Parts: sequence; C-alpha cells; structure tokens
Amino acid sequence: MLLFSVAYGILATRIPLIFLSQGEAFTSRTMPSALAVLGIILSLLIILTPTVDPEGKPTIKETVRGLEWKRAIWLVIAMIFYGLVLKWLGFVLASILFLMFGFYILDERGVVKMLLVAVPLVLVLWFLMSKLLGVYIAPGEIFYLLGIL
Amino acid sequence: MWEGMVSGMLTGISTTLIPINIFMVLFGCFMGSLIGMLPGLGPITAVALMIPITYNLDPSTGMVLLSGVYYGAIFGGSTSSILINAPGEAATVATALDGYPLARQGYPGKALAIAAYSSFSGGTIGVIFLMIFAPMLAGVATSFQSVDYFALMILGLTAVSAFAGRGSVLKALLMAVLGLMLATVGTDQISGTQRFTFGSLELLDGIEFLLLAMATFALTEALSIILNRDESSDSLKPKMIGFKSLKVTKKEFKLIGPTIGRSAILGFLIGVLPGAGATLGSFMAYGMERNLASPDEQKKFGKGSLIGLAAPETGNNAASTGSFVPLLCLGIPGSGTTAVMLGALIAYGIEPGPRMFVDTPEVFWAVIMSMYLGNVFLLILNLPLIPYFARLLAIPRNFMVPMILFFSLMGVYLVTFNDFDLLMMVGFCIAAMALRMMNFPMAPLLLGFILGGLMEDNLRRGLLIYDESISFMWERPLTLGINLTTIFILSFPSLRRVMSRSKGKDNLEPEVVTIHGETDD
Repeated sequence: MLLFSVAYGILATRIPLIFLSQGEAFTSRTMPSALAVLGIILSLLIILTPTVDPEGKPTIKETVRGLEWKRAIWLVIAMIFYGLVLKWLGFVLASILFLMFGFYILDERGVVKMLLVAVPLVLVLWFLMSKLLGVYIAPGEIFYLLGIL
Repeated sequence: MWEGMVSGMLTGISTTLIPINIFMVLFGCFMGSLIGMLPGLGPITAVALMIPITYNLDPSTGMVLLSGVYYGAIFGGSTSSILINAPGEAATVATALDGYPLARQGYPGKALAIAAYSSFSGGTIGVIFLMIFAPMLAGVATSFQSVDYFALMILGLTAVSAFAGRGSVLKALLMAVLGLMLATVGTDQISGTQRFTFGSLELLDGIEFLLLAMATFALTEALSIILNRDESSDSLKPKMIGFKSLKVTKKEFKLIGPTIGRSAILGFLIGVLPGAGATLGSFMAYGMERNLASPDEQKKFGKGSLIGLAAPETGNNAASTGSFVPLLCLGIPGSGTTAVMLGALIAYGIEPGPRMFVDTPEVFWAVIMSMYLGNVFLLILNLPLIPYFARLLAIPRNFMVPMILFFSLMGVYLVTFNDFDLLMMVGFCIAAMALRMMNFPMAPLLLGFILGGLMEDNLRRGLLIYDESISFMWERPLTLGINLTTIFILSFPSLRRVMSRSKGKDNLEPEVVTIHGETDD
C-alpha cells in the first residue's frame, strides 16, 4: 500500500491542468495529491506501529499457510478466460463453458450432472434478461464469422 | 410534524402497495434470505448481486427490492448460523453463540422461530423509529451547506474505520483512502481533465461501483470458501434438516419480551451512528442482556440461552433499519450495504441527501414502508418456509461456488456490456483477496469509493464559497460540531482501550476483521 500510494502520488503530479485552472487553489490534482500524502502516512503508521495482537504481526508465510491455492488460482484463470471469450462465443456458450469448467475444477466429474445444472441455469437467465426484461445481449462474434447469423 | 409523517406514510403506502412493488418486496425478501443463508455471503453481496436487475426498474421499485434483499439477507444469515454454526456474515456471529447450541440440543425449529420473531420485532420497532426520526433529521439537514456535507462525509468514513475492530482502525482508514483514490480515476467532472486513465477509453467514465462491489465482496467471498477449506461451510446433509416444532411457548415469549424491547432500542441507536451497523448492534445487545440477566440465566449464555439468541437477532435487525437514517437523510451511508444502496440511488439519477425527502418523497417513503411490509412478509411467509429454504445449504460447494462467481460476473457484464470490465473485476478481486488476507477490511474501501466524487465536489464548492480558505472547518459552528465529533470518534479506539483496561476484562465487540468474517453489514 505504501508503494501504491507513492506511485499514485507521482502520477497525481502528472495530471494535466487546463490553462484557466492553473492559478486556482483547488485543481484536479489537489484531491489526488492530498490522498497520496494521507495514504503514505497511514501506510507508514501501519508498518511502524506495534500490533495489538499478542502473537505479533503475522508474516506472509504464516498468512498463506494451509490455504487451497491451486483451485482458487484455477478459478481465477477460468474467470479471466470467461472475460476473454465472452465477446467471441457469446453469453450463452461462454457461460455454460465457464460453469462447467468451474464445476470440474472443484472435483465434479459427472458430465451429465454438470450439463443439467449449467445449461438450464444459463438459458433461464438469458431468457429472463433478454426476453422478459428486454436487456439486449449481443450474440458471439463467432456466429457472424461462421455465417450462422 | 405528525401531519407530515402521516402524509408521508400515505405516500409510502400508495407507492408500496402497488402489485409490482409488493411483488418486489416479496421477491427481495425471498432472494435475500436465500443468498444470505449461503455461508460466506452477507447482505453486501446479496444487494450487489441484485442491483443489475433493478437497473430496468423504476427507482422506487428498485429501492424497495434492494431493501427487501437487505433485511432478507440479515434474516437468512441467521439460519446458517443456527443450523450449521457458519455465520454468513459478521452480524450473525452473535446469533450462533446461543442459536447453534440450541439447535444441537434438538430445538432447531424453536431457535429459528425465536430468531424470526426477534428479527420481526427488531425490524418493526426500528421502522417505527425510522418513521419518526428520519423526516426530523431530513428537515434539519436541508439547511446544510457543501462544507457541512464534506465534514459529514469525513465523519462517515472515520466512523466506519473507528468501528472496524480492534487492531484494524489504521487499516480501515487506509482502505477508505484507497477507495477515495479509486474514485478519482476517470474524467474530472468540473475541469474535464483525465485522471489515472492511462489513455484507456474504458477508464474515461471511471470505475463502475458495481464492479468494485462485486469484486471486493462477491468474488472474494466465493474464493475464500475455496481457499479456507472450512468444514463448517461444507454442504449440509439434507437429513440433518428436520424440525420437530416451530412453536414458542407463552412462557418463552414472556422471557424474551423485555430483551426484544431493550435490544431494539439499543440496536436502532447504534445503527444510526455512521459505520457502527448491524455487527456492533448484535454484539452490544448480546453483551447488554448478558450483563442484565440473573446469575442463573447468565450461566445459560453460550449454551443455548433464549435471551442470548433473541438479543443479537433483535439488535442486528434494528441496527440495519437504523443505518437507513443517515442514508436517507444525509446521503451518507452508515454501513457497507447502505453504501452499495447509495451507489444504486446515484445510478438511478437520484441525488441522495435531505433533498431526496423533498424532491423524491415517493422513494424516501416507499423504502420506509417497504421495510414494514418486508418484516411482515419475512415472518408470515419465510417462517413456514424455513425448513425448505434450509435445504439450500445442501447444495454441494463444487456447484455453489462457480454459480456465485458466474452470477457476479454476469451481473457486471449485463450492466456494462464490456468484457474489459470483467478482466478489471478479476484484477480487483485478486488485489482484494491479498488485502483481506492481511486483515484489511473492504467496507471502508467501498464507502470511500462511493463518497469520493461527492466529497471532492463539496470541498471544491466550499472552497469557492469561502474564498479558497479552509477556515470554514472551524468558523462555521455546525461544521465545527461535526469535526469535533469526527475527532471524538477517531479517538474512540484509544478511549475504548483505556476503558477496557480499567475494567480489566475483554469487551464483547467483534475482534479482528478477517478474511473469515469481513464486517459485512
């Protein structure tokens, strides 16, 4: 957070100012600069002040010990993948794939069971949104590329 | 005053008692109960997940739905606390202290019924207080100037941080500052200058608040369930959900009656304080009742005491209602959930604050009246449905977690239709996970983010009015009063430490806000 505040402060000094506002006391830079200073002070206080926890400040190693990283990382990858393919595959297809991949990561192996949960869920949501609430959900680019649409 | 209140109530009744709004209260309570029941998901997540649906609705209807979700989620959180000792959020931790032992003794139905009656009573008493005090405060607040609002917003952010829990005050303050920093991303509304956009077109309008809410709460909470393989949050076996009786005897009602009354008043008053919220309300009510109980009754606390169950349930519902006072009257959210609701109000184009009482009374009163309706619905519809609702806890985790992730991502996508936002959301989720592991609370970040733009506008306006001098901070009596309150609240953790040392015992408030139990009012 200290590094973030310092970087934020440096970037704040680079915010361009319009000619008319250069003589003003409050410009677009004022609030970000004040926040950067506040962020740096608070970060330093957290680092320097002693903890009230009798066991002391935990190290990163202690904090992350015993956590199930592998599955969480795979789920994050699945979310990134979902964000990347959504435009191309469209909402329905990408969502079904995401859900099935998510179930698989969490040790579900029954394909029929996965399909029975993912497909109706996505189709019902798509129907609710696009047909009942009138929200336009664009079809995937792939359908245009393949000439289906 | 009474005439205004009666006419306001009539406005609220006429707005709420239309078929679509009645349906939305019902739907909100139902969805809130379902989502709130899932271990790890609290009211913030429940409200954030429902926001995309409300974007196509009338503002009154949208707020009615979100209010229903809010108290439904608080109520739902109690169910998982009582049945499987897995509080969905910090506000129902105190409920588990006596609710779970009572369920283990073979009375899950009774425990849930007492929780339902206490929630109803706490919520209803809270709504009556809200009807009386909200218009009064809103009336006073119409005389507030920009500088007062600026001071009030600082007070709100400070209060949220001060009540964050022992050892977390500095971290909460830093999170509030981080939220304010994120709010500066995008085009400056006054000068039109781009700030921290890095030349990206997607960042020109700033960061979508729903994206941040979903990333910091829904996504991280779902991932936390996987990261911390906590067996208590594993799915419940359906055969474990059996209820002999939901009946509460006359004698038991007599026993918990005074507790409900006291806890409702205390809870409401705590809820009104910006930042205190339902968590503190429930723990304070529990602590107060334990101190007031007879020595025999005191021995039962923690082992299935009916008073020990009724007090936090009443306290958290009354506090949830109380937290609407600063939101509706001042436009300053009193808790993380009301911060998300404030974001929704802004998205509907409604200027939150005392003017809302004058300009859009139908929204103001519809929210209040929908709360009453919601409390009734929760009692008469949810109580008999509890055994069926609880079967949701039987959904295996390997299906539940990907579905939560999907609903969160879909919720943001269907509002922004921008795949870049989904990637940014994942980025925020990773950062939030890291911060939560180091016990940085997320609610102040969200509050800072939502108040950031308003704070900057009010400060800029105040400086223009006062010839670019910050003397208004101490020259104007009202502003000075607010600032002195801020200083008092800021010194509250130190005072508390001194007081608890002099008492020589630990106090009962929630300790450290951790990844396992984010303060999620």
